[in-house]
Amino acid sequence: MLLSYLKIAWKVLLRRKFFTAISLFGISFTLMILLVVYALFDYTLGPHAPERRADKLLFASRIEMEYKTEGINRSSMGYAFLVQHVRPLRTPAKVSISESNWRETVAYVGNQTLKLDQKRTDAEFWQVLDFDFVAGRPYNQREVRDAAHVAVINEATARRYFGRTLGVVGRTIELDARPYQVVGVVRDVPLLRFSSYADVWLPVTVTTDDLHSPDYMGSHQAILLARSPTDVPLMQREYEQMIARLPLPDPVKFKKITSEPLPLRTAVLTRYMGAPQVPGGDAPFLRRLLLIGLLFMLLPALNLVNINVSRTLERSGEIGVRKAFGATASRLVGQFLVENIFLTFLGALLGVALAAGVLHVLNDSQFFPYSNFGLNSRVFGVALAIALLFGLLSGAYPAYKLSKLPAVQALKGDLGG
Amino acid sequence: MLRHLFTLMWNRKRANGLLVLEIVLAFVVLFAVGSVGAYLLGNYQAPLGFEYDHVWHIQCDPGAQPEREQFATWQQILRQVRATPGVLSVARSSGNTPYSTNMNTTSVVLNKGKDQRELPPQVDYSTVGPELRELMHLTLTEGRWFDRRDEASTRRPAVITEALRQALFRPGEPVIGRVLDEPENAQIVGVISAYRQSGELQEPRPGILLYVGPQDTASARNTLLVRVQPGAGAQLEKKISDEIRAINPTWSSTIAPLAEERRTQLKQGLAIPVLEGVVCVFLLVNVALGLFGVLWLNINQRRAELGVRRALGATAAAISWQVLGEILVLTTFGLVLGLLVAAQFPLLGVFNVKVEVYLTAMVLAAAGLYMLATVCALYPSQLAAGIQPAVALREE
Repeated sequence: MLLSYLKIAWKVLLRRKFFTAISLFGISFTLMILLVVYALFDYTLGPHAPERRADKLLFASRIEMEYKTEGINRSSMGYAFLVQHVRPLRTPAKVSISESNWRETVAYVGNQTLKLDQKRTDAEFWQVLDFDFVAGRPYNQREVRDAAHVAVINEATARRYFGRTLGVVGRTIELDARPYQVVGVVRDVPLLRFSSYADVWLPVTVTTDDLHSPDYMGSHQAILLARSPTDVPLMQREYEQMIARLPLPDPVKFKKITSEPLPLRTAVLTRYMGAPQVPGGDAPFLRRLLLIGLLFMLLPALNLVNINVSRTLERSGEIGVRKAFGATASRLVGQFLVENIFLTFLGALLGVALAAGVLHVLNDSQFFPYSNFGLNSRVFGVALAIALLFGLLSGAYPAYKLSKLPAVQALKGDLGG
Repeated sequence: MLRHLFTLMWNRKRANGLLVLEIVLAFVVLFAVGSVGAYLLGNYQAPLGFEYDHVWHIQCDPGAQPEREQFATWQQILRQVRATPGVLSVARSSGNTPYSTNMNTTSVVLNKGKDQRELPPQVDYSTVGPELRELMHLTLTEGRWFDRRDEASTRRPAVITEALRQALFRPGEPVIGRVLDEPENAQIVGVISAYRQSGELQEPRPGILLYVGPQDTASARNTLLVRVQPGAGAQLEKKISDEIRAINPTWSSTIAPLAEERRTQLKQGLAIPVLEGVVCVFLLVNVALGLFGVLWLNINQRRAELGVRRALGATAAAISWQVLGEILVLTTFGLVLGLLVAAQFPLLGVFNVKVEVYLTAMVLAAAGLYMLATVCALYPSQLAAGIQPAVALREE
């Protein structure tokens, strides 16, 4: 039955090639935009290198102190505070402490100025996240403890500074007129992976900042790796309990300290969208995004409804005959929905191809540095879901009208309308 | 003919309601994007007042050095940079150099008390050394630029821009020598054409530049604007950077050509408008498709009517003109509604944007909409013209 429906659908589409073309164009264009937006979203917030094990990671990057009078003071956390209170936590398998933002550093090579983004991390950083090492190794705990002048660089920096990516391990790179020995080269990390992105990574101890300051606030963050995804809520609770036990630094001025370890998507969204940094703080933003997505689909869906209604009137003869032969309204509705979903699936295929093209262009233009957008299984899944939703949305009303077509008038050729 | 079309469409307004709604939506979107575009273009075309080629911005940070020692180091740095081969001229400046992300604004008050004239705190405020004029090729329109006499002045010599002159003073009123109450004790010595510190994408603001002498220890202690020889590149940058570090290792510096800072600012400023443009294109494509679909439906339903008209002697061209005319009338309905919405913007002065921007956007949006409607009506009107009267009338 389904096969014959599909055959009929195909024949109907071929009948008016021009208008099939414009319907397909509308659907595929809409889907292309929605898929590109989703691919960007997934690339920034989903599990990609180097945060591959996103279901086991928690990011603690902000601490907030509420004033007794109005206002809050929010900032990244101090290094000594993290070492003293977050490293000894028992639930995480590993805890890494690193700077929460990258800084710009300058290297001169030949007649070129290289402006590089640098991030200082501890040795556990490389064990908590999954970087792809092209050559060499990350710096280890001993080198961090000794504040050794070593560096891990990405491929782009190796190419720009040394002219090649192989054979640079062991050579020296000069950043801000200080020499560092290259111990490892990693594959480029996209700028959109905010928590781990940099061009150059240095040991956290190689800095002129005061790392012993007991101030709760500073410029560092902690990344916690759980043993298994089920441990994540336990890790969260242990962290919250630790925060609750902290003495207030100035009980006269402040009344409360808040800090939450968040999963990757929530951490990035709340930090860069200015939402409160609590679990579920990104929910309003996601709801708004979903609403905008639905609104986006509304106009094309309305257009498709219009086109379908006019198609209905063209096929009134055929429908009149089928009704006269005993087809029920529900069967006709079912057939029509199948035809419509067939059309939207075709449009989705085209949309996926167009989206792949757009992402390829975005990659080439390097508008987002080091980006490597692509289509993965989640994007395909979303494409199918949108096509289905679209087909149902735009097919419901015309299908209903079609089934209500009076058979006798239709057979007489009175198009009504 | 036109009146006939209007009557026809008005009678069928409910059936065409969805279409008119889509047209209103398209107009509003075109108007919004058109306003943004007209605003940015208008700002971009206004004169900058300076030349940024081969000018570098050097930002220094004293680090942990105690404050009382900082000025001596600063003077050393100035001397050293001035003497560097490849550097043509050096001027001290406050941190809000052109294209930097810093902004410093002040209010301006004249004649406090009686006949007080005041400007709200949206006047760009910079403190600069006397070398700036030939460094950035500023254009003097009245009075003089800073010179040696200002070192001994009891007042604070100031140069204002044309925009400030027009906002604060009446046309033809003498301004040289006037003393302002805010910034306190500032005496106007000259007028320049413009100094658009915030770049081409921001609306031009009035500006005032205050004099910084060689012995001034209070302001302009961290920033230099430097004109370098054409062709100077990373090697000169490295040299200057090393010199500053050699004078005092606690000081750190960042050097950036103004052209590079300008590129970054343009990229950031245009990202959102480009996104809006993409959304606009998306919506317009969909409205166009909607128009196509409805027109086709319409013509299919009226085959008999059109067949009768052909049989009674209407030419194919007349039929297609009729269809085109109907769609243009519908567009006009949508346009009128859309203009009602759009007219609120200049009337209410939303976003503090000039009225010309909104008017330009309305005209552009209307023109764009008519073009869109015409393009969409072309194929359906050909279809209508192709209806054979004999076939159409026999279809029943």
